[in-house]
Amino acid sequence: MFNFFYNSNIFIWIERVINFINSIFFALLLVALSFALIFSPPDYLQGDSVRIMYIHVPAAWIGLASFTCIALLSILNFIFKVKNFKLISKSIAPIGLMFTCIALVTGSIWGQPTWGTFWAWDARITSMLILALFYFLFILTQKLISDEDKANKISSIIAAVGFINIPIIKYSVEWWNTLHQPASIKITGTSTIHASMLMPLLLMFLVLILYCALIFLMKYKTEIIRIKKNNLKRL
Amino acid sequence: MINNLIYMDGYGIFVWSSFVLTFLVCAVFYYKTRKTLKKYEKEFAIEIEKLSVERKKIALEKSKVASKVFSTYNKTF
Repeated sequence: MFNFFYNSNIFIWIERVINFINSIFFALLLVALSFALIFSPPDYLQGDSVRIMYIHVPAAWIGLASFTCIALLSILNFIFKVKNFKLISKSIAPIGLMFTCIALVTGSIWGQPTWGTFWAWDARITSMLILALFYFLFILTQKLISDEDKANKISSIIAAVGFINIPIIKYSVEWWNTLHQPASIKITGTSTIHASMLMPLLLMFLVLILYCALIFLMKYKTEIIRIKKNNLKRL
Repeated sequence: MINNLIYMDGYGIFVWSSFVLTFLVCAVFYYKTRKTLKKYEKEFAIEIEKLSVERKKIALEKSKVASKVFSTYNKTF
């Protein structure tokens, strides 16, 4: 069922995908930045500070999506015992932590001109900070515990517990009175964001997703080589 | 036009610091990840090189990963 996930099969594809992403990345980045900084209109209320959204929102999406992947892969690894799922989640975690921190920092910078403060213990911000802590614990467990099985079990528990925080982040703006506005972009239902702002947002999201894929593939490749290097000693 | 782009009605400092910080962090992270990968590739290729002829042959025949990394390393150096 999971034959494709065997190291050798994936390894052959990694180089091709990295080359493909490298070939289109800078052109896409240039287009996305032009729309985000020049062509998109300022907000009627927030003025040009709304441009921070083009970094902040995709970074937060990536932070949330990465942790969801990690939690699901950890659960699947528990059930099917596919070693590759552990490698994938280990490679995703630093990317997720980085983007969660970017979302927190850019949100804080955006907060100053919009709310008049860099930080508030608002439900959305606090739950995002908790997410960053879960990422930190997950990575720390992998790094500090030398027994791989034990590290795997503890990090899986951390991922499963941390997963509870994901819907809390998503619905925090509806459950509590927060400084954040409710979601403007809805997968089901009508989005309340204008197309002239939605397009640069989706373009920036695409660019950052490609960047994540690039980093993930390099990290995953490093993990495979590390395992193969250890296997070589047994030869 | 350029002035508008830089100052953004007083919001320039917030907007530019967000973008610059993000891309700086991304660039450093990319550089560090790439450097680690290259280091591991080099170490792995050197370990294969150190093996006896027979063991090297077995390693390269048995593992697609080993043969790929070894051939890439030989091409580069």
